[in-house]
Amino acid sequence: MSLKSKCCDVLRGFVAAGAVSLGLCVGAAAQTTVKIGCVLPLSGGSAAVGNQTRAGVIAAVEQINAAGGVRAMGGARLEAVFGDSQSKADVGVSETERLIQREKVAVMCGAFNSAVTFPATELAERNKTPWVVVGAVKDEITERNYKYVFRINNKATYDAREQLDAMDLLAKETGKKVKRAALFYEGGDWGRSHAANIRKLGAERGIEIVLDEPAPPNQVDFTSQLLKIRSAKPDALILALYTPDQLLFTRQLAEQRLDLPFGVHSAGGGTEDPSFYAAVQAPMVAYYFVQEDWQIDILDTNKDPLLADADKRTRAALGYGMSAYVSQGLSSVYVIKDALERAKSADRDKLRDALAATDITSGPALFPGYQRIKFDATGQNTFAHGVISENIGGKRRTVWPSENRAADTKPVWPVPAWAQR
Amino acid sequence: MDTYVLTYAAFNGLMVGAMLGGIALGLSLIFGVLRIVNFAHGSFLMLAMYFAFWMQKLGGIDPYLSVLIAAPLMFVLGYFVQCFVIGPLIRRERALVVEPISALLLTAGVYILIDNLALMAFGPNVRSTPSLVQVTSLMVAGFPLNTFRVVAAIAALAMAAGVSLWLARTDMGRAIRATAQNRDAAAMSGVDVPFVYNVTFGLGCAMVGVMGCLIAPFIPITPQVGLSFGIKSFIVVVLGGIGSIAGSLVGGIVIGLFESVASQFVATPTASIFSLGLFILILLVRPQGLMGRK
Repeated sequence: MSLKSKCCDVLRGFVAAGAVSLGLCVGAAAQTTVKIGCVLPLSGGSAAVGNQTRAGVIAAVEQINAAGGVRAMGGARLEAVFGDSQSKADVGVSETERLIQREKVAVMCGAFNSAVTFPATELAERNKTPWVVVGAVKDEITERNYKYVFRINNKATYDAREQLDAMDLLAKETGKKVKRAALFYEGGDWGRSHAANIRKLGAERGIEIVLDEPAPPNQVDFTSQLLKIRSAKPDALILALYTPDQLLFTRQLAEQRLDLPFGVHSAGGGTEDPSFYAAVQAPMVAYYFVQEDWQIDILDTNKDPLLADADKRTRAALGYGMSAYVSQGLSSVYVIKDALERAKSADRDKLRDALAATDITSGPALFPGYQRIKFDATGQNTFAHGVISENIGGKRRTVWPSENRAADTKPVWPVPAWAQR
Repeated sequence: MDTYVLTYAAFNGLMVGAMLGGIALGLSLIFGVLRIVNFAHGSFLMLAMYFAFWMQKLGGIDPYLSVLIAAPLMFVLGYFVQCFVIGPLIRRERALVVEPISALLLTAGVYILIDNLALMAFGPNVRSTPSLVQVTSLMVAGFPLNTFRVVAAIAALAMAAGVSLWLARTDMGRAIRATAQNRDAAAMSGVDVPFVYNVTFGLGCAMVGVMGCLIAPFIPITPQVGLSFGIKSFIVVVLGGIGSIAGSLVGGIVIGLFESVASQFVATPTASIFSLGLFILILLVRPQGLMGRK
């Protein structure tokens, strides 16, 4: 390259840069900001998950703003305003009130805990503010004929169904069926509704529930409960516990070397929390089946650069990469962005109508592993599904649905006894 | 219900009870001498657990060794909390000749402050700090008992015995007991009451610091972990008799044993309700607590 052409290149570069910055200035002048209110448990018992969801929301907001914001609204920028529910219903409701009345947010999302989401969405409905439910699975949240409440993720019934579907699939593949199951769950909204669904679906599928035990919160010892499980002699144990309880329980289960022929089937919660895996030794969680809220091995299969970028941002913010909660937070913002593009306005009612007409079949909104997001008349995404993973060789591999199972994943069923590990 | 399971549940209840009693010791001492309910007791426990965690993470020091460092540090922390935070309030209220009721609210504030500072500093993630001790269960008469829990239970008993002896035999111990019996009479006999208060508070914190390090290997560590222990400790202290060292252990064991065995027959939350029912029942019969003096 000659000196002259090099100079020309530099000059051209300057002109281009000037044009771009000019463009940015014009854009900035016309820009508006759309506020998204997000109530999450940033402290209290569910703080670990709340902060992961927050990281996902922030990652999506930054990605969207960096890519030019909401195009249909002249490049409007998104701004996430967070409220800390402290994992408590009353605090969550007052934070919702604050975000709707004082911060004047266009749309709400949150709030992970069903016990918080249930009353908070009621307040949003009364204030005609659309709410995109993140994480909470209590069925009734979308069964109240509300117009402003939308849920992207599974309801509790789906979670329970998937756990039993996976057992059925593995039974069909091997001819070995679970006949007796024990239920052990946290005593809050989530645990109890999950247990009720398992009870109902289990009866339909010929699975006998031999132990049905709720756990009070903040336990310091699970020995008595483990003894009850041992004397009930179940084939499989179905769990629904949050992280601290899950950690204590997992350790004590491993220490007592309690053998369960068809393993531990966790409904998520603690067993989906990366901080749980950081705190537990790998052999303790070997062969755990986990109902995942996202396709746990998606980073290996989906090569979307936005997914890799979100993973990088999460790693920088939290010290570990994408999780179900991060992907759900991320997905909710992309669903809101999609609705804003179609509504062309941050008006709450227009946004509500746009959300109701959502039909997404590609893009980052599907990072939790869905094929499609489309809400039914109740506001539930009927295409939501999670996956069931099995912890094989220290990695959680998708075993259900079989379409999502990687070619090299070979489920272990029944699981080996502690003495043979 | 077979006897093996029931006996195992009883063993386990004893261990959990002794652990709860050990944690409540410091609270009982502070309650007995200063007449204030230390709401921040659980928070001090949480701090000690985090201390054990960081010592292991950064220095590779086993939680059992960090007891030796945590106890004096927690003593100093407790000493200064009493000296600079609670002390001035007690001095002000004494002029009004009332018990320092508002100290209860003050310690509640200290609890909220410490817990949230911990949340800010350490984040919400659950942590664990495994000890280098590899034998995780001991076989006692055919029952596999968790080694760490056995250690915590035995340490609680040893600590209670040690503190009782110290209170009975040393000058400082006598001064503390005198202050507990009658603050003004002790002051007139030449006891430096504010100093006794500081030492007592420091000692209470040191004791909970020891227990914090000892339970860190088996209790998941979160910034909220103190709350559940704090409330349990309060129940244990009131049940056992305020200010009674032995009562604290007895109270812990009654609650631990009852919950463990009862939960073999009913669901665990129901067992917890029954144990609070038992608590009320015992207080109706013995308002001063199981081991408390009238």
